[in-house]
Amino acid sequence: MLELKAVSRHFGGVRAVDGLDLTVNEGEIVGLIGPNGSGKSTTVNLIAGLFPLTAGEIVFRKQPLRDVPVHGRLKLGIARTFQSIRLFGQLSVWQNLWVAQNSPEDRSRRGFFARWLGGQTQVREEIAQLLEFSALGHKQNELAANLSFGEQRRLELARALAARPKLLLLDEPAAGMNAEEIGQLRQRIVDLRAKGITVVLIEHVMELVMGVTDRIAVLNFGQKIAEGTPAQVQSDPAVKKAYLGGS
Amino acid sequence: MIDFLQNTLDGLALGSSYALLALGFTLIFGVLRRANLAYGPAIMLGCYCATWAYLKTGIGLLFLALIAVAGSTLAGVYVERLCFAPHRKGAAAAAMVASFALWMQFEELATLALPRHLYAFPALYAGGPLSLGRLTLRVESLVMLVAAILVCAALWRILYRSRFGTAVRAVIDSPAAAELSGISVSAVSLQVFALASAIGGLAGFLIVSGNEQVTPMLGMWSTLKGMLAMMLGGLGSLPGAIAGGVALGLREAHSQWYLGPQLRDFIAYLLLFVLLAVRPPWMNTRSAY
Repeated sequence: MLELKAVSRHFGGVRAVDGLDLTVNEGEIVGLIGPNGSGKSTTVNLIAGLFPLTAGEIVFRKQPLRDVPVHGRLKLGIARTFQSIRLFGQLSVWQNLWVAQNSPEDRSRRGFFARWLGGQTQVREEIAQLLEFSALGHKQNELAANLSFGEQRRLELARALAARPKLLLLDEPAAGMNAEEIGQLRQRIVDLRAKGITVVLIEHVMELVMGVTDRIAVLNFGQKIAEGTPAQVQSDPAVKKAYLGGS
Repeated sequence: MIDFLQNTLDGLALGSSYALLALGFTLIFGVLRRANLAYGPAIMLGCYCATWAYLKTGIGLLFLALIAVAGSTLAGVYVERLCFAPHRKGAAAAAMVASFALWMQFEELATLALPRHLYAFPALYAGGPLSLGRLTLRVESLVMLVAAILVCAALWRILYRSRFGTAVRAVIDSPAAAELSGISVSAVSLQVFALASAIGGLAGFLIVSGNEQVTPMLGMWSTLKGMLAMMLGGLGSLPGAIAGGVALGLREAHSQWYLGPQLRDFIAYLLLFVLLAVRPPWMNTRSAY
């Protein structure tokens, strides 16, 4: 589904990502882990199109992404969440979801004027489902800026889902969450797979990564140093040395 | 007392034309946080297109209004693509200077097509003014007032009740997050320019048909009055644009009566200078409509 072929991104002399090869298959949950500064978020930014590639190629469903703009990648089916939450704070929870319905299905279903100038009644059912999934139904009229941290995380995930993605990039979704919230997040990620969504998960919370992913790639200094099942990665000496603090 | 009331009525009517101009300015400023100096000249070009069509064919007012709106909209889209789309990230001064260059271009185009300094434009209403007791009100002014109220209501409906308006406010809130939510910031910017220029075109048509004449100076006049009204009401605020326009109209009507017509514009521009020098608190707020 997604192929990164010798992908590099350099910032001056810093090689944030350096010759990375990675394949993500349809329906998988793939973890991307590594120490701070290892290039995980840069990799997600490259897939989402926030930075241009220095070298290499990214292919999504056989389509090279080099010339596809950021909003165009979402239309192809790639959505993401951020390590630092970026909601539309001055819009309500409901409006944050409404405005993110930009999938090709949504575009083709309604004409241009109906879609852009039409009222809110046409899409209530779909947004109600997203609100239920993210347990934010009771906060639908609240401004996003007024939500708690955990609620904002859930809204960001729901907003990414509003675009009906095929591939979802989750950048440290458990950051700042307590154990109970992490448990709920784990269940949500499993539910996403059941909905047919492929997930790439960047996370420092090892309990979550090891428990939910099918396969893990480990980065260090922008390069992939290991790849395999959670059990294989956990026992890899290079990973222990670079990331898990082992010798 | 009757003079004061009459001046207030005249000021309200004048202010509603300024409010319409300021609404378009505010729409653009709210999204881009940049002043579009070619806003007025785009309106002037639309009105010149209508004048040209009138001189060639003698068509009716409704068609002239459509031509003025369409011409201003196309000119606005041209300005956005040439001046603002290439400088969306940073380079605010470059975009503003580029819009000044298009201002010159539009004036040249207008004078090439219609070389005389002044052209007659058909009157919106040929009859006399309405009598309200001892007060009088021109029908053109009443139409302007009603148009300003209707446009403001329609804009509010678009910005706060439609998905397009929600997308515009999302872009103002976070352009990066908007792109990642599948909203094309470039397309929204273009659409906002088109909408603002269409409102400007309507304002321009009502102004020239009320004055029954059109000159190339309409461009500079519209930019300055629109910008001044926007600044008076607070940058990027729709209610502020209306309030600023009305305040400017009232101030002009009263100062013209009490100080004489020679000082009317002088005081308007002095006010702009003082506002820019003092920068009162409401000018520094980041309103998103």
